Amino acid sequence: MTNKPILEIKNLCAGVAGKEIIKNFNLSINEGEVHAIMGPNGAGKSTLSHVLTGKPGYDVRAGQVVFNGKNLLDLSVEDRANEGLFLIMQYPVEISGVPFMSFLKHALNAKRKYLGDKELDAPAFMKLVREEAQKLGINSDMLKRAVNVGFSGGEKKRMETLQMALLRPSLAILDEADSGLDIDALKVVSQGINDLNDGKRALLLITHHQDLLEYIKPDFVHVFADGHIIKTGDKNLALELEAKGYADFIKEAQC
Amino acid sequence: MLKILLDHMPLEDDIPALAALHQKGRLAFKALPDKKTEAYKYTDIQGALTVAMLERAKKTCIHADDGMCHCHAHEKSLPFEAYEFHFCNGCLHKHFHFIEGVEVMSLRDAVKEHEASRYINKFDLENYAFAALNTAYADEGLFIKISQNIDRPIVLFYHHDTNLMSHIRNIIVLEKGAKAEVVEIYQGDEAAYFHNIVNEIFISKDALLRHYKLQNEGKSAVHVALSNVQVKEGGVYESFCLQKGANAARNETHVFLKEQNARALVNAAYFGTKKQLIDTTTDIEHLSPLTNSNQIVRGVVSDKAHGVFQGKIHIFPHAVQTEGYQIHKALMLSDDALLDVKPALEIFADDVKCSHGSTCGDLNEDELFYLRSRGIAEDEARQILIKAFLCAAFDDIENQDIKNLFDALK
Repeated sequence: MTNKPILEIKNLCAGVAGKEIIKNFNLSINEGEVHAIMGPNGAGKSTLSHVLTGKPGYDVRAGQVVFNGKNLLDLSVEDRANEGLFLIMQYPVEISGVPFMSFLKHALNAKRKYLGDKELDAPAFMKLVREEAQKLGINSDMLKRAVNVGFSGGEKKRMETLQMALLRPSLAILDEADSGLDIDALKVVSQGINDLNDGKRALLLITHHQDLLEYIKPDFVHVFADGHIIKTGDKNLALELEAKGYADFIKEAQC
Repeated sequence: MLKILLDHMPLEDDIPALAALHQKGRLAFKALPDKKTEAYKYTDIQGALTVAMLERAKKTCIHADDGMCHCHAHEKSLPFEAYEFHFCNGCLHKHFHFIEGVEVMSLRDAVKEHEASRYINKFDLENYAFAALNTAYADEGLFIKISQNIDRPIVLFYHHDTNLMSHIRNIIVLEKGAKAEVVEIYQGDEAAYFHNIVNEIFISKDALLRHYKLQNEGKSAVHVALSNVQVKEGGVYESFCLQKGANAARNETHVFLKEQNARALVNAAYFGTKKQLIDTTTDIEHLSPLTNSNQIVRGVVSDKAHGVFQGKIHIFPHAVQTEGYQIHKALMLSDDALLDVKPALEIFADDVKCSHGSTCGDLNEDELFYLRSRGIAEDEARQILIKAFLCAAFDDIENQDIKNLFDALK
């Protein structure tokens, strides 16, 4: 495979409030690939997704991140998104007073504007959203509510997946570092992700147990401990990890 | 300033009853309130007034050369069907709609024909310097008496484009069981003007008035408004006022729940930028048992804006089993913005349910990040969140057309 690289992280060191959490982290993701990062709770997996998306409050001390040929760390949060980065959040925030449809329209048109395309008119927008929503089993009643307000955990994940389907990112990050997705939600999200993967996109999964990997088959599994990747393998590595437990596995890998 | 105001006061009029009204105002008006006046401790209206603003309004529209007004306000039409009335530079356009079940007159006619005498000056002018000033000058306004359900909103437009002062006096009466929506829209251009409005509102037994106001005066203007509302048994006064215009503004609502089961909803929102001063003052008087009031107020101050909220719930002795609630929430978007908040409960009866609360903070960082992480630029994301925040004060407006007026913030 001579696929184009989408994301290249080199020697990334980052943390929060003076505490270094990501240490000398390296990872390359090419088009069409699915990567899974697994590690124990508290290892800093979520910090990685926050640093990549540009969440305020995190300091990058050293290293480089190239995303689709651009220096990711120089871009604002919104420009990273418009360049094709999408984070499926672990706990999507509820925003009362902002209707979901109006939020979606803002987001879609922001990306179109960024890419120099004309904004969608109301009928075209409605048609597009209805089509994608239907595929994910989202009814029109859910679309009428405010952003994430009153949704169950599973419903929130459906809405995240809908946003992803509409924004068609080149790299999606699914952060499930320590949340337990129920099986139904898992199926919907993984279907959405699998549908999107046309060979030109990539996916980074962040999780602490391998349930998710039953539905979305990773090409690479990375074990994350002490701020960086200590071992990389194929999907069998996830099973091995599950069987041994993190503590023993990490001890072994570090010897 | 005070000398000009006193010197210009009208001493006579073709209509003796109006001259008598002016005299009452003249006697009651002592001085403009300053910081020593408790009710104006945080709100320096006097400091915002300039000599240029104190020119008296003409008796006919200054834009009318052929008897018809061609001013800007007249051209602008609403995106929905309404009974519209226009004031231009303090002058009422005298071509009224006929509205089934409504008696409409100009203030002058209403005073002349003694229609107004039952309803005018039904509060203590001594306590309201600006209302006293209004009484001393007022010769323009509307008298609206509603006796049944009105099929569309009554919309009062006020437009200014000239340096002057306008003292408008409106009287709105809802007779037994009547139901109406009244919308006030205030707008202006660069002109420096002083707009001083008094609305006297009477809600009879089982009548319902929904009263909406969009204060979007010109950026150099001074706006002072008092709505004095009396509600009888089973009557309902529901109001919402959004203030975002003027250099200095105060919107004061004084509601008297006079008989059992009278109810008031007095919601408000304000959005101050640059060096604006915006004051929202409410006073709800529960004079009778089983009365109910609720207030939801949302405010945003940015740049060097100064927001003031003073909200009082006053429960009289014997007004048992009443409920009075008030909540004020504000966003302070800059270090230089200023907020003065004075909620007050005065309860002289047992067996009542009352509460008040006030919070103030910045936009929620997680919400902002969420919107930005979906590609929405930071400025736009902030606007979305500000609008959503203010929306809580007017989300319950049933009439979607009217709600849309407030939705368009910019």
